[in-house]
Amino acid sequence: MEPLSWFEILARIAQQLLPVWVALVLTYALSIRFKRRFGLYGKLFDSTVGMIGFGIVMFWLFVALFANFIVTHDSLSQVSGMRNAVPGSALRDPRDLYPYYLLGGDSLARDVFSRMVMGAREVLRIAPFAAMISFMIGITLGLPAGYFAGKLDTGLTFLANLVLAFPVILLFFLLVAPEIQDTPIPRVMAGILFLVPILFITVLLNARFFTQPAKRNLYVGIVLAVGAWAYLGLVFNADPVGLWSMSPNLLNVFVAVVFVNAPTVFRIVRGITLDIKTRDYVAAAQTRGEGPWYIMLWEILPNARGPLIVDFCLRIGYTTILLGTLGFFGLGVSPESPDWGSTINAGRRLLTVYPHPALVPALSLMSLVLGLNLLADGLREESLRD
Amino acid sequence: MTTWDETQPILEIENLSISFFTRLREIPAVMDFSCRVMKGEAMGLVGESGCGKSTVALAVMRDLGVNGRIVGGTIKFKGRDLTAMNQEELRQIRGSEIAMIYQEPMASLNPAMKIGDQLAEVPMIHQKMPKSQARALARQLIADVRLPDPDRILDAYPHQLSGGQQQRIVIAMALMSKPALLILDEPTTALDVTVEAGIVDLVNDLAAKYGTSMLFISHNLGLVMEVCDRITVMYSGEAVETGNITDVFDRMRHPYTQALFRSIPLPSADKSSRPLKAIPGNFPLPHERPRGCNFGPRCEYFQKGRCDATEIPMAPVEGDTRHDSRCLRFDEIDWHAPIAAGVQHDSSHIGEVVLSMENVRKYYEVAASSLFKGGDTKVVKANETLSFDAREGETLAIVGESGCGKSTFAKVLMGLETATDGQIMLFDENVQSTPIQHRNTDTVSSLQMVFQNPFDTLNPSMTVGRQIVRALEIFGVGASDAERQQRMLELLDLVKLPREFATRMPRQLSGGQKQRVGIARAFAGNAKVVIADEPVSALDVSVQAAVTELLMDIQRKNRTTLLFISHDLSIVRYLSDRVLVMYLGHVVELGTTDQVFAPPYHPYTEALLSAVPIADTRIEKKRIVLEGDIPSAMNPPPGCPFQTRCRWKSQVPGGICETEMPPLRDLGAGHQVKCHLSAEILADMEPVFTVAAE
Repeated sequence: MEPLSWFEILARIAQQLLPVWVALVLTYALSIRFKRRFGLYGKLFDSTVGMIGFGIVMFWLFVALFANFIVTHDSLSQVSGMRNAVPGSALRDPRDLYPYYLLGGDSLARDVFSRMVMGAREVLRIAPFAAMISFMIGITLGLPAGYFAGKLDTGLTFLANLVLAFPVILLFFLLVAPEIQDTPIPRVMAGILFLVPILFITVLLNARFFTQPAKRNLYVGIVLAVGAWAYLGLVFNADPVGLWSMSPNLLNVFVAVVFVNAPTVFRIVRGITLDIKTRDYVAAAQTRGEGPWYIMLWEILPNARGPLIVDFCLRIGYTTILLGTLGFFGLGVSPESPDWGSTINAGRRLLTVYPHPALVPALSLMSLVLGLNLLADGLREESLRD
Repeated sequence: MTTWDETQPILEIENLSISFFTRLREIPAVMDFSCRVMKGEAMGLVGESGCGKSTVALAVMRDLGVNGRIVGGTIKFKGRDLTAMNQEELRQIRGSEIAMIYQEPMASLNPAMKIGDQLAEVPMIHQKMPKSQARALARQLIADVRLPDPDRILDAYPHQLSGGQQQRIVIAMALMSKPALLILDEPTTALDVTVEAGIVDLVNDLAAKYGTSMLFISHNLGLVMEVCDRITVMYSGEAVETGNITDVFDRMRHPYTQALFRSIPLPSADKSSRPLKAIPGNFPLPHERPRGCNFGPRCEYFQKGRCDATEIPMAPVEGDTRHDSRCLRFDEIDWHAPIAAGVQHDSSHIGEVVLSMENVRKYYEVAASSLFKGGDTKVVKANETLSFDAREGETLAIVGESGCGKSTFAKVLMGLETATDGQIMLFDENVQSTPIQHRNTDTVSSLQMVFQNPFDTLNPSMTVGRQIVRALEIFGVGASDAERQQRMLELLDLVKLPREFATRMPRQLSGGQKQRVGIARAFAGNAKVVIADEPVSALDVSVQAAVTELLMDIQRKNRTTLLFISHDLSIVRYLSDRVLVMYLGHVVELGTTDQVFAPPYHPYTEALLSAVPIADTRIEKKRIVLEGDIPSAMNPPPGCPFQTRCRWKSQVPGGICETEMPPLRDLGAGHQVKCHLSAEILADMEPVFTVAAE
């Protein structure tokens, strides 16, 4: 069979992505129809930039969601004769398989298109979650450092600088070293890492609702129950239902991502807190006898959201790239994982001869990060407007 | 320029219209604005924020930014049309023939350049003057703006100078090239009153010396009266009245001007018999201006079908020279009609002592370095031996300039800081060493605070209702959410805000409305003592009156004790029962309002009173300008804190002012003064204000 022309390739990709288009159209139709009822999310649809960004992000989200329907081949299976095949190449012996490699094959003769689609799923499963944990840790430490200042601030800032000054590569090597892997250090780290979000949400709700004990007990109870369940699964791998689990490798990824990101988030939050705590509404909260955590989490944090949302969107992008870097050390995701970072890394060797295996995930990553940035811009812009 | 005739106006603005273009629409900022400034004349431009006065100034500088554009009219400077000039020609004029002075002095100076170099730059660029000559000129001008030790100042960086000194440098810089026109955009708003008085004096003298014309922009009518010969009142993008100061002040012919004068606390106003009259309604948004007269919806002389029918032109007022008004009915209105007496209130009865402070001190230790302890620690004496009582239903004003310790005092009282020494009794409870976390809910809710900055007082990411409800939750008011919701709506009624505001975000509210929400929040737990920290100083005059009246109303209703912190003596005289004057952490005078505002004065009070600009042509005022700046609390002068600036110091024998702290003396009837001056000299003091015979 003849290889496909570029036009045919695009048409076939568009056809494969049909569920995504349907979902996007539905989302937009419903959102624009009812945008006045959705608060900030609805306001996003008043800004062109925000809408474009949201569209790109949702596109990748739906790709990840419907990946099983979209892929043309199994992302791990190899088909003979398709090594480094150019985009649009036809399979020699399709049998019941899809007859083309739409975006070509990689150096192990796997379908680049399917790997990109499955990669979206990997990336969107790990990156936002890892970035979120870094944020919670950065915020949990940054708020008191900025708010209480003094010795606590000096100490924490020094610690953050220490971590920032520590060579990241060395840290990665240490994390994979068997000597470290066999010690309880990774478990302990995970134990701390996943404890912080639970504490964060508990304190958040308690500060808000402590005046109404009934409500407080209900909310905090729910959080603690769900938190303990997830914690058991994620840290001790002992979830009775089996919903929460995490491979030790992925745990390393989380530790690495948090180490790299949390100090920076800490500094951002600390800086904003130092500024916001001088405002009169903070003084007003103090003079009516609010506790420090209420002031930090409900008076200061919401007003720091602008820079934080933008930084969060950016950081998802960094994390995705970091996943590739970690893969380079044989860390984290399995070597044949289709996530974009590892795929770019794998395609790097033959980049001058066969650019497509690396180019496709690179462009995907770029568009996702761009979409996140545009979304962040739109959110920031609209959240300040009426 | 040789063609320009000195009898012609320096600046002639005719039918100027300016618009800002946004993505959505064109926003007209200034419409049909005309004014003429003659040589040596000072024109005052007065109006509330958002009325377009600064836009006019920027248009004269042709510095409207990317979005702003002149859409009609001409600006003629010495007969040449500025609107038709290109950038090159404008550069020649800016800074050399027209100079501008902005509000924030620190923002106008380059922090990385020495003062001398910054000043010398001006003639070096405009007149190609050699550097040595330029520096000599700079030195002379520094002496002209009455800064001590010009040689030291030339070599100083801006941050080494105080705010008042910085503003003097900015003025010197503006005068370096002897401009024909000086534009001053709120030049003293960021400064303290006594410093302001010095600057105003300086501007007046320099204008006379150099024959410079001035365009003086301000929201303060009193200040304009002191500086300017002519005045233009602006409202919502239009000039509504223009004329000579005395004509406009004494024979105003526009309802807005009249309303403005009725809303400022002149010495003739009194909270019980002649309360301030706020202008009803709100300032219209630029794209929602009404048809016809912009002031129509808020005007008490409004006639439907006439005032809202057509655009209203400026018309000359018969009998006065160059006095115009933009009102169709100005010759029909009876301008001398007595002010419709509002609701009369009896002076409220003053009850028991609720708050009593005795010898309260607050010292801060400032370490040389925060990371490593040790080294020199300096002690900042923020409050020294504060003693006073406050009674139920009383308004006690605390007056002083920045750095006098009034904010520290508020913090100590609120429990955000603990006192170093002394006693604070609040309803028979000792609170001086109880930080707010350890105070019980009752104490906390009965002692609340209203903050200064309306744009800062509300959390921008919480709805108005939610913020009030939160205060109710914390104070334990109401048993259920529904009850608290109801109480919140009642609080909104109390501060005269519509109930729909409960679901609004703070950014959707104007400054005055936000301040009302702040007041509602402070009264959520039925506060008995409220500290109001300059609650109206950041608001426009017409709104100030409304918020002040609101505070008074609530006070009458709840018999609240109000501690009113302010630097504005006009408003203090209007609303307070007793006044406490602070200087460098010390109480220098304490007495009833009548005692403090009439001789004998403490020398500092006398200077403070004289510094306050008063917008009343009938009042004659003694001018007392204090030399220098307020000393640092880190390094206070020995003896009397005020001795470095006191003009009475020579009257005290033996120079004890410099060595001994004066005791707080009782002059009878509870009037206390901290001064060494003998009783005879104090008794001989002349009043600062005299009402001229009519």
